[in-house]
Parts: sequence; structure tokens; C-alpha cells
Amino acid sequence: MLAAIRPAGQDLPVLLHIVGATLAFGGLLASVSAIAFARGQVRLLRLGYFSLLLVVLPGWALMWLAGEWIYHKQGWNGLPGQLKHETWLQIGFVVGDYLGLLFLLTLLIGGIGIFRLRSGKGGTGLLNATMVGAVVIALGYVVAVWAMTGKPGQPSAAAAPVSGAQAGTPAATVNVVATEFKFTLSRQQVPNGRVLFTVVNRGKIAHDFSIGGRTTPLITPGKRAELTVTLAAGRFFYLCTVPGHANAGMKGMLTVK
Amino acid sequence: MSLQDWVFALHLVAAATLVGGLVMSWIFVVALRTVEEPDLTLNLSRVAMVATGAIVVGLPSVIGLGIWLAILRPQLRPWHGWAIAAIVLWAIAAAAVSRSFIEYAKSTRKARELMASRQFGPSSELRALNRTSTGLLFRAVASAAIVLIVVDMIYKPGA
Repeated sequence: MLAAIRPAGQDLPVLLHIVGATLAFGGLLASVSAIAFARGQVRLLRLGYFSLLLVVLPGWALMWLAGEWIYHKQGWNGLPGQLKHETWLQIGFVVGDYLGLLFLLTLLIGGIGIFRLRSGKGGTGLLNATMVGAVVIALGYVVAVWAMTGKPGQPSAAAAPVSGAQAGTPAATVNVVATEFKFTLSRQQVPNGRVLFTVVNRGKIAHDFSIGGRTTPLITPGKRAELTVTLAAGRFFYLCTVPGHANAGMKGMLTVK
Repeated sequence: MSLQDWVFALHLVAAATLVGGLVMSWIFVVALRTVEEPDLTLNLSRVAMVATGAIVVGLPSVIGLGIWLAILRPQLRPWHGWAIAAIVLWAIAAAAVSRSFIEYAKSTRKARELMASRQFGPSSELRALNRTSTGLLFRAVASAAIVLIVVDMIYKPGA
């Protein structure tokens, strides 16, 4: 995410998302360490809890809100079903939403622990449970960072350069030129049957080309890839699946007669 | 996932470790400012070691993996303006954070001395060391440099 070059207008939500996430992560680590090393020392137990309340909670909220902002800004909500259910995105949602709920529960248990500690009725056990919850959330966070950046399930730039090639002569060939942030197709209408797409990246950053449920690998600048897809008569949505690129203009409709 | 994807993911995990460590260290720096007892100072410094560890692991990993990534990705180059700016800011952050560690180590040393001489009560000298403005200043410089790196990495001026 950090090392990517994005369409204009997405940098601020990405910055806020990352600031929120790192605040939350730092707060989680602080909380876990403070409670783990407290050895019954009330001030450290309180520090552990208030790190969750005053650092992790606002960080988590910022991360979540900015994440939603990115989701809408990149136009994921407008994409066809199979594309918006990318594995890495689903991992992000599980961490952001379900672990978010676990976090709120952890916060509640910790709050009761602090209350009991203040009124001299113990509470250390509840704060230890809070620490366990915080450890689980921190581990989930590391998985989310890996998923958000490595994007498992997405075509890789280093993958084989040709995909979808099959034997036989295609019914039509479409030359596709990818730049920032648009596709130029040599034809907007093709006969039904096997269609060969020759995609050339004349831009400065990597793109891919997806149509009819098939996607090229990521094509680095100056490189090309071929994609053969069998298309029945109808209208087919094509797009670049790199986050944000479709919303920035790399999408369109191909008519198959 | 290709090698590039793995290097990118690890670069980001290292960055998260570094910034997370820094956030964590701020929590302890703020908490330490009201502490004047040697035992609590020592306990807090023990906890702060986790933050120190995260920073010590994160700092070299993030730059090493970042340079590797810039070599692997054709559209990124280590000699681009924004990459050079990030390397310079990284050097400033590394120097400032090391200096800050030295400052805060003074209060830990003092707390150990007090404990060794069986002075367990509040100490004004220890409180002054815990409230070190030099340590705070260097920690702030390091944090500002890291924040600027994050902004530079996201906006990539000139890329």
C-alpha cells in the first residue's frame, strides 16, 4: 500500500488508515506489555487498560472509517460480486469488523476489571483476560498488514506473462493499451466465441486487465500479456483490478454480438 | 505471492513494528513523567523494553527491505527524490531515537542505584530524570521524522 503509486485523491484516506492502524497497533502492544509486566502493580494495570481506551479505540475508529472511505473511493462497492470479494479484502474486513467487536468486548471486560480494582474487589483476572484479547487482536492485525500488502489471491507481477491461452484460432483479437488511468481498445464490439486480448502497458505503473472472470497477471510498464476468453453474446464489463484503478477510469464495457 | 509481494509485505510489517513501537514508547514516556518511585520506574522501563525492541528491529528492517523493494520494482528506484528524502529522514530518526534511548537510560540507572541503596521512596532527582526534556525532544524529532517518512511514502512527491 505504501510502495504503490495510486490515482490522485486516495492518498489522504490511505494516510489516515495507516495512522489509525499504527496507533491501534502501538496501543495494543503497550497494553499487553503493561499488563503482562504489572505483577499486581495497580498503576501498570491501569496504564494497560487506558492504553486500550485512549489510544487503541481512537486509532481503531480512524483505521475503520478511513478503510471504508478507501473502499468507496476505490469503487469496490460498484464492482461485480466476485471481484469485490477478494481474499485480501475479506481478511481486512474480518480483522476490522469481527476483531473490532472482540476489541469492544475486551474493552468492556477491562473496564469492569478496572472498576473492581478501584473498589478493592480484585479485577486482576479480568485485566489478564483483557491482555489475552489484546494479544489475539494484535496477531490479527499482523495478518491484516500481510494481507493488505501482499494481497494473496491477486495476480502477481512476477507471475507467468501469458494466461488463458488455448489452442486454435480466436474469433477476434482486441489490442488493449493500458495507461494511467484508462484502457484503449482497438475495437468496442467483437463476434462471440474465443477472443484474444493483447494487453500492452504503456503507463508508468503496473496494471492488469480483467474480463469475463479471467484476469491477466499484473503487467509492469512496457510489458505485454495475452488473455484468451470465450465470450457469449452480451455486454462484458472489463476493468483493471489494481485497487482504485477501475474507479479512476480503467473500466468499460465490451459488446459481444 | 511473488518475492516482490513478500518483500513488500515484510517491509510494511517492519514499518508497522517500528511505528507501533514508537507509539508504545510515547505511552511510556508520558506515563513516566509523573513517576518518582524507583520500583515503578524500573517496572516501566522493563515494559518500555518491548517498545525499544520493536524500534530496534523495525528501524533496520524497514530500510533494508525498502531498498530491496526499490531494486525489485521497476517503477521504484532508490535514487528517486522521494526515496532519498526517506533515507535521509530515516537516518535522522535513527540518530534521534538512539540519543533518546541514552537519555531515558539515565533514569533507569538512577532507579537501580536507589533500589541498591534501599531508598524505595519518591525521589525528586529521579522525577527530574524521568521528565528529561532532552530525551523528550529527541523522541519528538524521531517521531516527526518517522511521520514525514510515512507521508513521503504515501504521497511520493515527484514519482
